[in-house]
Amino acid sequence: MTPPAEAAAVRAAPPERGWPVLRTTAGDAELTDRLLAPIGTTARWWWILFALSGALTLLYVALIGYTVARGIGTWGNDIPVAWAFGIINFVWWIGIGHAGTFISAFLLLLNQKWRASVNRLAEAMTIFALVNAGIFPILHLGRPWFAYWLVPYPSALGVWPNFLSSLPWDVAAVTTYFTVSLVFWYLGLVPDLATARDRLSGTWRRRVYGILALGWRGTATEWRRYHVAYGLLAGLAAPLVVSVHSVVSLDFAIAQLPGWHSTIFPPYFVVGAIYSGLAMVLVLVIPVRHVFGLQDVITERHLQCTAKLLLAMGLMLAYSYGVEQFSAWYSGDVYERYAFLAARPRGPYAWAFWATLALNLVTPQLFWWERWRRSLPALFTAGVLVLVGMWLERFLIIVASLNRDFLPSSWHLYAPTWVDLGILAGSLGLFALLILLFLRFVPLVALSEVKQLRHELARERP
Amino acid sequence: MSDEQRATSDGRRPAEFPPGVARPGPVLSRRDFVRLLGASAALAGVYGCSRRPDELILPYVHQPPELTPGVPQYYATAMTLDGLATGLLVESHDGRPTKVEGNPDHPASLGAAGVHEQASVLQLYDPHRSRHVRHGAQQADWDAVARLLAPVALGQRVGARGEGLRLLLEPTASPLTVALLARVRERWPAAGVHVHAPFAAPDDGDALLPLPDLTRADVVLALDADFLASGPFHLRWAHDWAVRRGAGGGPSRLYVVESGFTPTGATADHRLAVRPGELETVAAALLAGVRAARGVTSAPTAPTTADEATTAWLRAAARDLAAAAGRCVVVAGPRQSATVRLLARALNAELGNEGRTMWYVRSPLLGAGDASVGSLADLAAARDVDTLLVLGGNPVYDAPADVDVAGLLRRVPNTVHLGLYEDETARACAWHVPALHYLERWGDARAYDGTASLVQPLVAPLFGGHCADELLALVAGEATPRAHDLLQTHWRGRAGDRASGFDAFWREALRRGVIADSAAPRAASAPVPAVVPPPAAPPRAAAGTLEVVLAPCPKVHDGRFADNAWLQELPEPMTTLTWGNAAQLSPATAARLGVESGDELALGAGGRTVRVPAIVVPGVADGVAVLHAGYGRDGAEETARGVGVRAQGLFPRAARYALAGVTVARTGAHHELALTQPHWRLHGREPVRVVAPGQPVAREDAAGGTRRRALPLYERQPGAPHQWAMTIDLDRCTGCGACMVACQAENNVPVVGPEGVRDGREMHWLRIDRYYADAATDAAAAAPAGPLSVAQPMLCQHCEDAPCEYVCPVEATVHSSDGLNEMVYNRCVGTRFCSNNCPYKVRRFNWFDYNRDLGDVEALQRNPDVTVRERGVMEKCTFCVQRIREAEIRASVEGRTLGPNEVTTACAQACPTRAIVFGSLTGAGSEVARLREDPRAYAVLDELGTEPRVRYLARVRNANPALAASRAPSASEAAT
Repeated sequence: MTPPAEAAAVRAAPPERGWPVLRTTAGDAELTDRLLAPIGTTARWWWILFALSGALTLLYVALIGYTVARGIGTWGNDIPVAWAFGIINFVWWIGIGHAGTFISAFLLLLNQKWRASVNRLAEAMTIFALVNAGIFPILHLGRPWFAYWLVPYPSALGVWPNFLSSLPWDVAAVTTYFTVSLVFWYLGLVPDLATARDRLSGTWRRRVYGILALGWRGTATEWRRYHVAYGLLAGLAAPLVVSVHSVVSLDFAIAQLPGWHSTIFPPYFVVGAIYSGLAMVLVLVIPVRHVFGLQDVITERHLQCTAKLLLAMGLMLAYSYGVEQFSAWYSGDVYERYAFLAARPRGPYAWAFWATLALNLVTPQLFWWERWRRSLPALFTAGVLVLVGMWLERFLIIVASLNRDFLPSSWHLYAPTWVDLGILAGSLGLFALLILLFLRFVPLVALSEVKQLRHELARERP
Repeated sequence: MSDEQRATSDGRRPAEFPPGVARPGPVLSRRDFVRLLGASAALAGVYGCSRRPDELILPYVHQPPELTPGVPQYYATAMTLDGLATGLLVESHDGRPTKVEGNPDHPASLGAAGVHEQASVLQLYDPHRSRHVRHGAQQADWDAVARLLAPVALGQRVGARGEGLRLLLEPTASPLTVALLARVRERWPAAGVHVHAPFAAPDDGDALLPLPDLTRADVVLALDADFLASGPFHLRWAHDWAVRRGAGGGPSRLYVVESGFTPTGATADHRLAVRPGELETVAAALLAGVRAARGVTSAPTAPTTADEATTAWLRAAARDLAAAAGRCVVVAGPRQSATVRLLARALNAELGNEGRTMWYVRSPLLGAGDASVGSLADLAAARDVDTLLVLGGNPVYDAPADVDVAGLLRRVPNTVHLGLYEDETARACAWHVPALHYLERWGDARAYDGTASLVQPLVAPLFGGHCADELLALVAGEATPRAHDLLQTHWRGRAGDRASGFDAFWREALRRGVIADSAAPRAASAPVPAVVPPPAAPPRAAAGTLEVVLAPCPKVHDGRFADNAWLQELPEPMTTLTWGNAAQLSPATAARLGVESGDELALGAGGRTVRVPAIVVPGVADGVAVLHAGYGRDGAEETARGVGVRAQGLFPRAARYALAGVTVARTGAHHELALTQPHWRLHGREPVRVVAPGQPVAREDAAGGTRRRALPLYERQPGAPHQWAMTIDLDRCTGCGACMVACQAENNVPVVGPEGVRDGREMHWLRIDRYYADAATDAAAAAPAGPLSVAQPMLCQHCEDAPCEYVCPVEATVHSSDGLNEMVYNRCVGTRFCSNNCPYKVRRFNWFDYNRDLGDVEALQRNPDVTVRERGVMEKCTFCVQRIREAEIRASVEGRTLGPNEVTTACAQACPTRAIVFGSLTGAGSEVARLREDPRAYAVLDELGTEPRVRYLARVRNANPALAASRAPSASEAAT
């Protein structure tokens, strides 16, 4: 048992008006056991969700097979709307994939203590979102089996990718981001895998965790090197958070299509991405801390901070929306003006425009009030609404820009097919499936960091 | 649509030739094939694998008679539609016709070919064509038909003089057919001959057809005549009209009075929409107006019609005509009443046009001015018919509603049908004989002006079959007639007086495609009855009823081309409707009825009802619904079956083309129409420009500033000797669509079907956009005269700074040194970024494997010089790069430099008005370089800095100052 004095100190720790970053009374050993407890969970809810998400994943696999076998015509895309659900889903998922690394790397570099309890889950979310994000750009190709032509390699054809296009850069940015995120995540996992190896029962488990722990023994040298490496990776990952969605935004911004051709796109996309990622963190963390009883480790403080970040990002997004509209008006360009001032608010996809504004701009305004920042249902609902809003924003940017461009003769409406909807649902299923597997097999909170934080906080006792 | 039955339904590899296709030899094993391949290469046996006809056919004039495998040859022949011929040159690849062009020597073509001619090559390879002689439900053979029609057997059944024998023909002007009919009547003097086609040229009793000389007409007035885009001589007339329009001394002026909205009406400088019943009054008022303007006494002082605006319009037009007396033309539509046509004659006579701009020619059609040739109705009324030969046509489908053809066919014991398909009529007949396509048969034909041509086959019959001439000869008593011999015999008798002998005549006729000096003499005047029948009072528009017009479909005509997927998918010129027909209503009429495009209407008259979706078309006269014939087919043509609605079912004999008092009701059903262009207004943009005569295109933007242009980022590389470019003159373009079909045929462009069109996935490399150039609002477009509708062929602009090129991640679309934007199909991975970034949206994507279900027979049509694209790759106009490279190679073989005007694209070649000009910008005498400097030349979306290689020449609106106030060309619309 932890001495009461120390527990009280932890509870009283940093300012933030009684919103401690950690309010556990458990000692190191108990904390370890509690945080490792979810591993191997066989709760009923887990199996139900697993079956559900597994079914959706099977649908996903089947529809991917169908698309590859029949052709991209099974989707609703047309000319002029040659990109639609595939690219919307890609941007949406990759946006969600931003919060994990943002929380881990940025907050580590900024020495924000509240990252420790949620970074593992957020990073896992990033990886799994990127898995989905990686599927779509390949799947949406007319001939996906030649996707590797976008990679610069010494081809016997003697042809390089076209570096004037943003797409090869896109491939590079996403694969780099995925690689670094994965390594960063795994590196952070190593001490915890070693703990799992040491603390869990069962030969096979211990063997598997033992192999994955890469022989970690927890020596001081190891810890020192670990921190250096972790810091370096954080330094590498932080700019990637900014670069990857900037490059993704160039997929649109380098085109001359009204609605795409805009210099604000890189920061606008990065902000939007982190925004949706934070929303997904809320949607995941709130139920997870509830079902595993981790309220003292993932405290209201974490949710509070996330809500504040959500508000900040929401305001930046509002600014971006405003600049987009203003630039269109100020340009005096007939095509820009039509796209932003006529087609979006009054065109065939006006519903998406107004829904985007309502969901993305109005929702976070709730969090000016502490009352709402405390309310779990409000936070969870806001997360869901923002996720929907951000998906619609990408729908608006892609479909509503493409469907009415320069020549009115080529204007044509877009409607998704059941395959489009099935693939979107399937991608959610795969994501949920991976999260469920993660919860069952991987320490979902960074044990070593939480324990370290506990000691740090105790030391900071005035 | 390639959903025909295939030989592969059991999963086996398709046979090289499906059942029914006559094989060139026994089935070969792979080993035998390779051996033969080697042998034929060694022996250079170029005749070995082709499907060349057995008889000698001769290529077009200037080409060498010997064959080089892989090098296509052109043969002259002629295609007839409603009995009148258009001379063609057909490209043949090793004995397989692939592409139809116009014959420059033929008066009805002058080198152009319309949509039907262009698409006819697909019909040749139509897998739904009938393949066997049929008797009842049994497969029979030609010998059985010969026995049925053998003189003795026939005589026993029809009587010694042939009282029980009836022949039903399509209109024909073929000298051979006419001669054979004479022989039939000699043998069976009491036999009846009847002619039927729903939209054949009319006969005013004196068999004179108007033959205007539009090259000299300063003012043209059309009375519901779509003379620029339909009819047997329209290619010639469009050409002549464009020649005068583009000549020095200012453009001509075109007035059009019409009920529907046609390409001719859209081309007009001034247009008046009237109900069909009003047309006689309008024509009479015009005549009165012209007489008044010319100061002829005893004429009413001014034309009068019901409403003031119409009267003012007619007065101005009449004054303009009178001022251009002797230099103008009045043409009346072929489906107008005799009164309107006679009034048009009277107008031309009054205006002194006869012998100057208006001539007349004797109709070459069988039965013109000949009372011994009966109609379909006479036939339906006939009793005691034993044997009826239906030699073409589909009367069960297209007869007037009150003519009971099915009953007739049930009554007659021996009915023989000759046709390309087991269509509605074939099914009702006891016997069916597969007909030969015109590219498979020998024959002859006459054009509208009487010019005769020989029809030579390019390919041995694909499915077997016979032609009408052979059946006629059989009836006339010949035992084993062969069309080739019949034809030679016929012309041997008539060419005997030629000094050089028959052989030389024959060769010359086959080579040139025209028989010299065979045109009918033209008369300088036509008789006008002293008293033209007074115009019938226009029917009062009863509340809740419409006047309904039946027009031949610009695509499938009377239904004979309904199985042609190219034509089904060709957007109808004025509505862009594909795969079906609809009742065209003006916005006011639609508003009154409370319907929108796609709402189904029930049109009823005389106890007959047609359920058809509505489509709102600004420019159609109020109170009128226009229906296109040729849909709602129910024959064996699988592509055609169930597409659209059979509009003919509404129209009785007495009102074949316009029916008043048709009740209309909404059924509540809604159809999603397969339109390729649902947006018509410009939204403040200027893809099409309209100028007054002599006025250059504005170089300023609407606000008066110089047009803003994006600055080029990259230095241009020095190019190849030739720099290819195109100009398209919007003032010459009528939007007829010939270029679209030509492009489709040349470049192996697939069809996607109605679903594909609704999904926005049509594959046309060249499309025709149509804008309401003067309508800033829907209300303006709905003005009674209709909007100023400008057609704009839109294809890859081959931008020098192409937006598609830099966004392609794999360099699948690149620029050639001679200025082509090239698409490398086998490098394309299908990101479609290029299409997103193309401001003209001319790129097309293979969403599915559109060639997967391509039948073995249809595959024969494919142009071997053009890659057939696979699934998942982008494609688009190449400026017919295969033609450019072929010409370059030819020039280099001949050791000379290629001239700037030597190469032409398929679209430019097909264009009857020469609106499209293609060539190199470099080199002396470059036509395209000259046109680029025209004051009317502009680039679409030039403010984007794409530097397109396609330039457009602005549409000219030569407004009559007296009418100009009613509608001025508006170049500057407010942004919407």
